[in-house]
Amino acid sequence: MSARNRELLALVPASLLLTAGFAAVFVERDDVLSDVSLTYGAIFLGLCLVAHLVIRFTLPDADPYLFPLAATLACFGLVMIYRIDETLAREQAQWFVVGLVLFGATIVAVRDITVLERYRYVIATASIILLLLPRLPGIGQQVNGAYLGVKLGPIAFQPAEFAKIGIVVFLSSYLRDTRQLLVSAGRRIGPVVLPPLKHLGPMLVVWGLAMLLLVFIRDLGSSLMFFGAFLALLYVATNRLSFVLFGLGLFAAGGWFFASTVGHVQNRIDAWRDPFDPELYDRVGGSYQIAQSLFAQADGGLFGQGFAQSILQIPGTDSQLLPAAHTDLIYAVIVNELGLVGAVGVLVVYLLIVERAMKTSIIASDSFSKLLAAGLGAVFALQVFVIVGGVTKVIPLTGVTLPLISYGGSSILANFVLLALLLAVSDKARRRTA
Amino acid sequence: MVEPASVLLKYGFLIVLYLFLVWVSRNALRDLAGKTVSRPAPAAPAGLVDATGLHSLTPEGDGLEPQLVVERGVGLQPGMAFDIGDGAVLGRGDSAEIRLQDPFASGRHARLIRQGGIVVIEDLGSTNGTYLNGELLQGPQPLHAGDRVRIGDTEFVYEDR
Repeated sequence: MSARNRELLALVPASLLLTAGFAAVFVERDDVLSDVSLTYGAIFLGLCLVAHLVIRFTLPDADPYLFPLAATLACFGLVMIYRIDETLAREQAQWFVVGLVLFGATIVAVRDITVLERYRYVIATASIILLLLPRLPGIGQQVNGAYLGVKLGPIAFQPAEFAKIGIVVFLSSYLRDTRQLLVSAGRRIGPVVLPPLKHLGPMLVVWGLAMLLLVFIRDLGSSLMFFGAFLALLYVATNRLSFVLFGLGLFAAGGWFFASTVGHVQNRIDAWRDPFDPELYDRVGGSYQIAQSLFAQADGGLFGQGFAQSILQIPGTDSQLLPAAHTDLIYAVIVNELGLVGAVGVLVVYLLIVERAMKTSIIASDSFSKLLAAGLGAVFALQVFVIVGGVTKVIPLTGVTLPLISYGGSSILANFVLLALLLAVSDKARRRTA
Repeated sequence: MVEPASVLLKYGFLIVLYLFLVWVSRNALRDLAGKTVSRPAPAAPAGLVDATGLHSLTPEGDGLEPQLVVERGVGLQPGMAFDIGDGAVLGRGDSAEIRLQDPFASGRHARLIRQGGIVVIEDLGSTNGTYLNGELLQGPQPLHAGDRVRIGDTEFVYEDR
């Protein structure tokens, strides 16, 4: 079976999932087995088919599983958000359509990914500006202490979502040129090879940027995501574990310093260490959210409470039992309603997407493609780790979206662009091996 | 009150999800095991091992045919390919195997040497320098497929098909 026919076939179960999910929510809500769910499933399948045709004509050899896996995630997102809030789901569906359009446009525009290399400094500068935008007076927005949003008139977006792609593109292109020098011109001290000072500079700049993010944006999660992607790329480019350990040490030192000085980050860490402390639980901006998230997940059990069964609001009042259920805590809602089995399913979908990215990196023939695929895979995986880790109390909870599931236009759009780039790389790589 | 239809739909949802995941995983695993060509790393001469391990070394006589493909250049047709064989000198002079007509090229400008499975490029003290991927070449560097070599206004792409 050809790659494209596999992709086409895989879109069918994705649409079935959407139909089943909506049907279950309708049954719970209105007590009827509504055929509207079939209509929604058909529309979803139709939209995916259009995107599939764009891939078929422009990137015929691209990886067949990436797009259906992403569609599965989007279907989880649409069902869960619909179950939380109908108006939000309508907006999310609109963003999904815009995302697919952008996905197609990106595929057509960067079919040849070497174009990106030509504009690497433009991309790098734009990404850094995007990251700093939320702190500009007038357009920046503070949400729960972190500066992640930008509001320009009626348009609000999260620039970090787009910046992560730009930074990976730049670093891939930069490391492709300097990786030989980083390794060969290094000074050897015992078993550790230190890169020459001249080339250590850019590494320190990236570290400084990650620290700046921590101070400016006050978000440990995005900072970890960016720096982690950088270290992953550095490891792939140089095969030197010492660089990674050195970088982790730097990050830990910087993170510890700022965590103890920036109040907002300190609060998050306190809430993480002891979420059930009554004093922290009742405090504004305390551990209420993370504690409720843990309760919800425990309540899910093995197979979950069922679609639309999760209690999001305290009955009879307006106060929220699960704050930010449609964004930060959507994973907790999924665990509550579909249980451990459903949650593992979601995580396996992410795992497979990352596996496809790494596979693409392995078969790619030139350094830039290898680094780009590995970097995009790493940044995607780290984003999932940061938010799922936060919700499950592995690391402090921060406001990063769950890619392609969480409510949010920027997140959907940016992740579709990321996916389009991965497909473009894999098309080039697989055409060579085929 | 939990509707039976809803319970059925939930389990149906989970079953479809897992069947889908098993299908993708099985194909992905077969893909990982089968198509990836794991080339045995030959014992390369000391100092020439690709230090970063990003590229697997190809043993000699593996059908590796390194070429420089002209991207643009003075007096050269774009798309023209020069076989490198076991090595070649690029330059304007008569002793160069790859003859350039670029006014910025020196007589013997740069040298390509094939050592084991990799091709190394080295500047031969030229006046205007050799650029590898837009950066001035300093010392010998191994070439990878897709690398761009520029001398004056002449640019090549290295291919190893």
